[in-house]
Amino acid sequence: MDETALINSAQNGDLDSFNTLILHYQDSVFNTAVHILGDDDLAQDAAQEAFISAFRSISSFRGGSFKAWIMRTVTNACYDELRRQKRRPTTPLEPETSDGEEIDSPKWLADPGMTPAQKSEAAELEHAIQHCLDTLPTDFRTVVVLTDIQGMDYSEAAATARVPLGTIKSRLARARLRLRECLRGFEELLPASFRLEGEGLQ
Amino acid sequence: MKNFREIELLSSYLDGQLNASESTRLESRLTSDPELASVLFDLRAARGILRKLPARKAPRNFALTRKMVGLKPPLPRAYPIFRFSTAFATVLLMLSLAANLVIPQFNFAASAPQAAYGFGGGGDPASAAEEPLMEMAPAVLPTDDITARQGEPSADAMQTLKEAGTESGLPEQAEARNEAFVPVNWQIGLLIIILLGGLLMWIMRQTASRKWR
Repeated sequence: MDETALINSAQNGDLDSFNTLILHYQDSVFNTAVHILGDDDLAQDAAQEAFISAFRSISSFRGGSFKAWIMRTVTNACYDELRRQKRRPTTPLEPETSDGEEIDSPKWLADPGMTPAQKSEAAELEHAIQHCLDTLPTDFRTVVVLTDIQGMDYSEAAATARVPLGTIKSRLARARLRLRECLRGFEELLPASFRLEGEGLQ
Repeated sequence: MKNFREIELLSSYLDGQLNASESTRLESRLTSDPELASVLFDLRAARGILRKLPARKAPRNFALTRKMVGLKPPLPRAYPIFRFSTAFATVLLMLSLAANLVIPQFNFAASAPQAAYGFGGGGDPASAAEEPLMEMAPAVLPTDDITARQGEPSADAMQTLKEAGTESGLPEQAEARNEAFVPVNWQIGLLIIILLGGLLMWIMRQTASRKWR
């Protein structure tokens, strides 16, 4: 696949070329959306919106990493969806103390609100990880999804999230730290090679 | 718990983002600080879990259709000409209809005072030219004659006024009121242009979309 030629054709309005690009990136785009939004249906809508928006604004693509550009479009679509959700009354992901400060604690996983039935539903590792991702603030979640799940390097992630490299490093470290704490609650689900605490260097 | 700066360093170290000297310094600290090493292990495990997360396939195809992105079939080059002429003819037809509706009423309104008072010029330039003569006529009469005749116009004046009224064309104005300002034939012509233009544009659009499919 000659990506540059396809992009040029798409910039001239060739929808078939753009659809070829979609077929190449749709799994990554959907995966990014589903991990940021934590919901399949919303992720599908966001991915579709992102591709429509990308086609309409492809003339603004001025070279560089097309993957970063398309990922930026999908993260924007996800942020729009999250903003829409925020306007509706929802249970906050981050519990707060009486002082209004965020509780950054692994106790979140032992939340009595999470019923045994829900816990058994989250028995699969993927669900547990998604649950932990959902507890992260959106900006942190986006960075960890882009780097650790999508395998982008720091500069690509910075281009996608439109933040400086230092911000990516900082957010990634904070996100990993929180995930480490969160995943402790699902210790029994983790494969032996990924058990936390006291493992040796692998 | 280590401070955040150290955790950030460890995270960057995991991804190979530290330069050689920073890496060496951190590695030497890791050997002497078991707590720091433990944090590194946990961060690495967390990263490893995320990286092992199975990539999901998109549940459906996200390929776009032309309808989704609002693409329209390319129209023939002559299309804008037809569109312009149809729009122009429509505007002209509207203006002509409005003119036929408004202008006769305006003429009638302008001639109404003249009919009511019997004299005074009105809209007719011919009678307006005669007006000064009529005004000057009583000035040559004696003063007592004027007083005696105040309030009733003389027979001559009445005759003059009648003539003036006939010359100013009051019955003609009434006829003009019934006449259209823009001939009806023109309006029919414009209507035909509009209908033909619309029909041709519709055919062009249909043909273009059929070809596009």
